Amino acid sequence: MSRLQATGRVRRRQARSRAMEVLAWAASALAVAVLGIVAVSVLLKGIPALNLDFFTKTQALFGQPGGGIAHAIVGSLLLVAMATAMALPVGVLVALYVSEFARPRVASTVRLSLDVLNGVPSIVIGIFVYALLVLSHRQNAFFGSCALAIIMLPLVARSTQEVLRLVPQSLREASQALGVSKWRTVLRVVLPTTFGGILTGTTLAVARAAGETAPLLFTTSIFLNQVVVDPRHAVSSIPLTIFTYSESPDPTQHAQAWAAAFVLMMFVLVTSLTARYLLYRSRRRLGAI
Amino acid sequence: MVNGPIWPGGAAILSPVQVLPVPSGRRALESRRHLRDRVGDLGLQALTALASLGAVAVVAGIAYKVFDGASLAIGHFGIGFLWHQVWDPNHDVYGALNLIYGTALTSFAAVLVAGPISIAIGLYLSELAPGGLRGIVGSLVEMLAAVPSVVVGLWGIYVLGPFVQNDLGAVLQTLFGWLPIFSGPRHPSSLLTAMVVLTIMIVPISASICRELFLAVPRDLKEGAIGLGLTRWEMVRGVVFPYTRGGIVAAILLGLGRAVGEAIAVTQVIGAAQGIHVSWFASGDTLASRIANQYQGALTHLATSSLVYLAAILLVFAVVINVGAQSIVKRFEFQRTGGS
Amino acid sequence: MTTKRTLIAVFGGLVVALAAAAGVGAKSSGDTLVGAGSTFVAPLVSQWQADYAAKTGVQIAYSPIGSGGGIAAISGRQVDFGASDAPLSPDQLTACNGCVQIPWALSATALIYNLDGVPNDLHMTGQVLANIYLGHITKWDDPAIRALNPKVSLPGTAITPVYRSDNSGTTYNFTDYLSAVSPEWKSKIGRGVNANWPAGQGGKGSSGVAGIVSNTAGAIGYADVAYSLKNHLKVMAVRNNSGAFATPGLRAITAAAATIKSVPAGNEMHIVNPPKADQRAYPICTFTYVILPLKTSKAALLRRFVFYAVSPTQGQKLGPKLLFAPLPTVVLVAAEKTLNKVSS
Repeated sequence: MSRLQATGRVRRRQARSRAMEVLAWAASALAVAVLGIVAVSVLLKGIPALNLDFFTKTQALFGQPGGGIAHAIVGSLLLVAMATAMALPVGVLVALYVSEFARPRVASTVRLSLDVLNGVPSIVIGIFVYALLVLSHRQNAFFGSCALAIIMLPLVARSTQEVLRLVPQSLREASQALGVSKWRTVLRVVLPTTFGGILTGTTLAVARAAGETAPLLFTTSIFLNQVVVDPRHAVSSIPLTIFTYSESPDPTQHAQAWAAAFVLMMFVLVTSLTARYLLYRSRRRLGAI
Repeated sequence: MVNGPIWPGGAAILSPVQVLPVPSGRRALESRRHLRDRVGDLGLQALTALASLGAVAVVAGIAYKVFDGASLAIGHFGIGFLWHQVWDPNHDVYGALNLIYGTALTSFAAVLVAGPISIAIGLYLSELAPGGLRGIVGSLVEMLAAVPSVVVGLWGIYVLGPFVQNDLGAVLQTLFGWLPIFSGPRHPSSLLTAMVVLTIMIVPISASICRELFLAVPRDLKEGAIGLGLTRWEMVRGVVFPYTRGGIVAAILLGLGRAVGEAIAVTQVIGAAQGIHVSWFASGDTLASRIANQYQGALTHLATSSLVYLAAILLVFAVVINVGAQSIVKRFEFQRTGGS
Repeated sequence: MTTKRTLIAVFGGLVVALAAAAGVGAKSSGDTLVGAGSTFVAPLVSQWQADYAAKTGVQIAYSPIGSGGGIAAISGRQVDFGASDAPLSPDQLTACNGCVQIPWALSATALIYNLDGVPNDLHMTGQVLANIYLGHITKWDDPAIRALNPKVSLPGTAITPVYRSDNSGTTYNFTDYLSAVSPEWKSKIGRGVNANWPAGQGGKGSSGVAGIVSNTAGAIGYADVAYSLKNHLKVMAVRNNSGAFATPGLRAITAAAATIKSVPAGNEMHIVNPPKADQRAYPICTFTYVILPLKTSKAALLRRFVFYAVSPTQGQKLGPKLLFAPLPTVVLVAAEKTLNKVSS
């Protein structure tokens, strides 16, 4: 424990400590500043291109000004909605299995799989869905949302698991002591207390999926330049639009890329804030805060 | 896109999940109800097991499809693919060395810069920040993690790229121009720009985990150290760091995993160049970025397969890094709980 | 249980919205043709899309993912038609399982550059261009470039050669030309939709290349004329075999295509570096092709659309304002003949 012993050179030690505190402060300030610069860039460059046409029209013909990203907005909403409809129930079921039913060894295998899945680069998930589904059929919105669902699944499952852990064991025991069967206990007693947490995790997963580009590159990138809501056809999406327009030499498309980035950021911001609020509420209810 | 807890309770993933003991079932009195409960229990268990099986199957499926797709290139080029440099679609000859170099260089440089910054932010948020600021700054750092990579890339092209070329690059060249890595003409799309972009993307991830780790250090240990007359920094070095060492390594590894797998933002700023360039001001390319650029347009079976081979390399890197991070955490947790 | 209700409401809403979406979608899906490929021809296709939909009600989906992507997509029948500026090689035709390629547009690849204080129409030769892309010439004030432009004061800026990072027909056209004029290029690099580039940096799509060139001082790149024109980039004048410096205008493209007297069976035509028949001929021109499956359930729709596209009074009429020259008659005849082989 020699390192912990106080020595006499107090002033020098205080100065060093102070210097380290300043560095820690500076690092945090730097991170916040970078966020600020990104946000300000998106605001300054994005807002001028925002107008009604931007939300209601599709891409203008080559060489013509104006146009909008209505098809991309609708496409993104469709993709994320379908992905959520797949990832949410499966993710919750996986979490229930791991924390309520599985034997320890099985549970840890499933958890490991989720961790691995969470670590798989999204571009590899794109290749997987392409090889598995797109190759033998065609690109369409459904396959794109499958790729997004694979990204969302571990996020939903993990956050559900976290809240399931917070459910007091006594609650389960009390329910079963009253003679309630296990499945009723799980569905009626355990699960309802975790809805807030599940909603939080799902919301965050939605925010993440909405911004993903790589899984859509190979699964839904050949689309009509019009609003499509049929999942059997490929649809455009906001991230892919930003990706394509960002490398364009056309100043109109640059401006639209920034405006689309603004729309995407607002969506992510709103969903993240909602998630934080829900988390706060559900934690308070479970007495974890 | 790899990893990282993206919500405040995120660090909990780093602690071993306690498995709840299955409560012993009570015998139901009514036989009909008994039957229904048996069916319900079994049904729910089967349903959840099926979903879990599905999740495991997706992981296995990804590994299978990727290695199956790469098998042609693996058979053709063998393991030598890893250290052959040429990527020549005209002659159907492919090698991954340039791209492995690009991925390794940009990711490691990003982690080297992001590691200390993340630890510093973690310390600020857990030990230093006054109450009100703590929540706000913490939220802002998490907001940075939530910025989609394509937006970071867009910003990288138009704001960061010119800054790196004209300002940061100029300063680095004036100060360290004698180093080969800071020599030669400066480009807006460069390895250096990609490094900065990756740093920005992984700092918030590692920082949030570090904060959770530092907050988990028992208060009495910290207060005891201060009470012994240690300065805050000595307390951090003497108590917080030893207590969280494994977790910090894992936090940084998770950042590395994210950097290695990032495709979009890097594609936007790195310049898709061939060859290995000593200068960081030159353009380069990475595994993920090459896949994003060429997979859709690969013309020969060998070209497609070689790109999937790249994906296989990427997959192995990412899985090793992530599983490594998890196992470090587990071992560390074991020591901490077992050793005290 | 307000959260429970929220959750159920959200999820229920989702399902209802999806069902509604599927219902609406089922009603609105009329006749559509899905295509992908060349970014070179994309500006023209985008004109056709609007015009054709107005005339026939048939929707054309087209994604400019690059010629390589177009060939790959039609080979895997991911799309109804592919588009490529690089003619299919015999191997690729085999891999495509019964495809035909039909020339449906004609244009040129422009050399674009970004050099402050230097006027438009900088003179260039194929040999010097090859040396730039081989990395042998690295400064704009290199004697070889100065010799071609005695009246221009060239800065010592470093040259950044920019190429396509995706697999591209424009790259094919460009490397086809360099292979024709530079033996070193031909033996070391060769022609194709991509290359093992010795120098420079890549951009995605014509727009990516043009974007990098317009953002990078000292950059040189290649892109189809439509993009360079639209984005007000400086375009080089390239020396042809008659010794004259030609810029990629409509007449220069038509002159280069006039060297085609007959169309070979597979429709594969090369018009780069044409012999010195016409002083005006621009040396980096190309036909661009639509690739169709011989057997397809959408044969009638496809035939009608491609007939429209190649027709001098319809599709081709929209070309000139985007610097696509009308197809020569001999090519048009071959195109229509091939098109008739497509059946269901």
